[in-house]
Amino acid sequence: MTTHEQAFERAEPQAVERRGLHRPSLSGDWWRHLIALAACFIAVFPVLYVASAAFNADQSLGGTNLIPRSLSLENFRELLSPDPAKSQLQSSTSHYLRWLGNSLIVALTTSVLTVLLGALAAYAFSRFRFRGRRLGLLSLLLIQMFPQLLALVAIYLILLRTGDVFPFMGLDTRTGLILVYLGGVMGVNTWLLKGFFDTIPSELDESARVDGATPAQVFWGVVLPLALPILSVIGILSFVGTFNEYVLASALLQSNENFTLPLGLRGYIDKQYTEHWGPFAAGVLLAGVPIMVIFMSLQRFIVSGLTQGSVKG
Amino acid sequence: MSVFSGVVGLAIKIALLAVVNGVAVWGGTVLASDEKWFALAVLVAATLAIDLIYLSPRRAIPLKFLVPGTVFLIAFQIVPIVYNVNVGFTNWSTGHILVKSEAIAGIQRNSLGPPPDGAAYSMAPARNADGNLVLLLVDDTTGEQFVGSEDGLEPLGRDSLKLGEFGTIETPPSGYTLVTGAELLRLDTELSRFTVPTESGAIRSEGTEAALELAPTLRYDRVRDTFTRIEDGTTFRDNSKGAFVAAGGEELEPGWRTNIGLANFSAVLTDPLIREPFLRVFLWTLVFAASIVLVSFALGLFLAIVLNKPTLRFRRGYQVVLIVPYALPAFLAVLVWGGLLNDDFGVVNNALHTNIPWLFDPWWARVSVIAVSVWLTVPYFLLVSLGALQSIPSELVEAARVDGGGPFAILRRVTLPLLLVVVAPLMIASFALNFNNFVNIYLLTAGGPPSDDQSVAGATDILITYTYKLAFEAGKGNDFGLACAVSIFIFMIVASISGAAFWKTGSLENVR
Repeated sequence: MTTHEQAFERAEPQAVERRGLHRPSLSGDWWRHLIALAACFIAVFPVLYVASAAFNADQSLGGTNLIPRSLSLENFRELLSPDPAKSQLQSSTSHYLRWLGNSLIVALTTSVLTVLLGALAAYAFSRFRFRGRRLGLLSLLLIQMFPQLLALVAIYLILLRTGDVFPFMGLDTRTGLILVYLGGVMGVNTWLLKGFFDTIPSELDESARVDGATPAQVFWGVVLPLALPILSVIGILSFVGTFNEYVLASALLQSNENFTLPLGLRGYIDKQYTEHWGPFAAGVLLAGVPIMVIFMSLQRFIVSGLTQGSVKG
Repeated sequence: MSVFSGVVGLAIKIALLAVVNGVAVWGGTVLASDEKWFALAVLVAATLAIDLIYLSPRRAIPLKFLVPGTVFLIAFQIVPIVYNVNVGFTNWSTGHILVKSEAIAGIQRNSLGPPPDGAAYSMAPARNADGNLVLLLVDDTTGEQFVGSEDGLEPLGRDSLKLGEFGTIETPPSGYTLVTGAELLRLDTELSRFTVPTESGAIRSEGTEAALELAPTLRYDRVRDTFTRIEDGTTFRDNSKGAFVAAGGEELEPGWRTNIGLANFSAVLTDPLIREPFLRVFLWTLVFAASIVLVSFALGLFLAIVLNKPTLRFRRGYQVVLIVPYALPAFLAVLVWGGLLNDDFGVVNNALHTNIPWLFDPWWARVSVIAVSVWLTVPYFLLVSLGALQSIPSELVEAARVDGGGPFAILRRVTLPLLLVVVAPLMIASFALNFNNFVNIYLLTAGGPPSDDQSVAGATDILITYTYKLAFEAGKGNDFGLACAVSIFIFMIVASISGAAFWKTGSLENVR
């Protein structure tokens, strides 16, 4: 078993308790169950309520109950192909598929490049001893303390002026947004990945080097395949984080057709809770459930990431 | 070693470098044609450096791995930070967007007005041989004929264009076509801005059939850098805050962006109109972030203790369900809560049979944003606490029990101190995150309800949403300069909190 597998093993707390004593009765633990059930209800009732509203025939906010009176897919139809006559206002029309597509493009591109750029940098910090290494690591830490969020105004002004010369990467473009997201990559992930690379025994690289491999070959052929689990977790976390991101996107994107899902859905529901509730709930389900499933299935990896200091954005 | 060995690896490297250079050359030509020389120099230097690094074999190997990420880091993180600091020292805001030379030209344009004895023209918009918009003009008093373009006024030979019965221009001279009908309507805005410069001022169209000679009402003195109103001789001087101002306080528009030193920073500290909202928002930000962390940790730990009994049935099931708020994308959850807390139709008021304005009363709104954030954060601390509880050696707890410690004494004296070693750094991280938790505020209350003190800061605005509003949503326009200054304050606050935490935990010593 390699070291990094052990690292994941530690995140699996259930391993200990399966030594299975005899099956206990419910009676002695009734108060634990009572509290847990109450907490579970608070945790899921918004989700259940939204699911009910999505399939409810009545579209309005006041008309929904926890158990829908009559089931219908009308809300999904309205969300995906809104009746142009019913919603005259541009901003309140649903371009759901367009928004979702934008979000997927932006989040996928960002997460793939995040992993790649982060891994490259982390490999250098983990395997080479060079001048300025400690300084580089410390400055990454310092830069990370100034989140991009705070330089929002400057980023806006920079893209505003970039757009004068290169319209394809100025304000209100997905390319511009992706580039901006990539700027925040190094500060956030390099440390985490470096820590992980440090646990991969350097004897592996060295034997490959002795066999005549170049550093690039060691990176792509030895280290990356071994790091695949953590790389995919970081990729998925970065995907979810980008998918969730609101502030930069809302400052940089301006037209409805370029919006990512958070901006689009917010504009769709803003001040229109009463009219748009049903289709909105359908949109929440469509976007939320896949992410939730991915997140749950990776839970144990994410927990181990959590205790090492990454926070979901 | 599959793909990246030998020749194939080299080919991929060359191909990638070729793409980088191709993009750089294309970008360079665009920059050159726009005369952005500084940007061009940076681009050329960066491209040469990249080529040098990747084409020199067996040297600068760490750099080869560091460059790709660093390029983005510099371009979209470090440059914005530096630029952010720069903008913080300027008055860049609505009314002060232009640079000075543009602003002077703008003032001169704005100052044009019809002089008492100015000429009036019959006018018809037309296109010249190149398809550019020009004005065909006939002086109403002298009958002289001109063609006016954005370059100036040129005389036409007398009678080269024909006037109709009511003095309208009907036949254009050869080489020109009249703009009529639908195209004329489309040109409405362009036409209203179309200015023909003349020696003494300008000619501008009035409607679609007439034009007036205009003369400047202000004169710019290049040497003394002042504007003088011709009518009464009032002098407007550069107030070194980006505007020309008369002795009486009258200001010419537009202004320009300029360095105003520490004015934005001192405004945050001294100007009561800015300081009071800033202080209020700052205090609320601290309360908001701290209460989320403390309440979430308390609830998360409590649930962890409840669930931390290996023999508890359905334990795994409970844990999966309790993670739901954390697994759901936060923006969706917050938007959903906005509906649930709706005061008229929301399920919360319906279920409780109350009529509480959850999002529209300052205090209830504060309670709501904290409650929703806690709902989102508890699962994080539940997971963390569960992990930490299980990592505490059971011998310690056993020993305490043998020594006669009750459950609460064990919790307070054994479990909690050990737990905090693991959880405290995460609480600091969570505090820093919630300090700038834009989504939870902005998507639920948008910082509102508005406060009574005429500032943009509402009752639930935290510093980061306040900054955002200053920059993009302030009622009287954007104030980029002030927003940048505020964001620097936020940075200093967050940095000193995290810095103190790092220093205390000594993690900086361990940079290996």
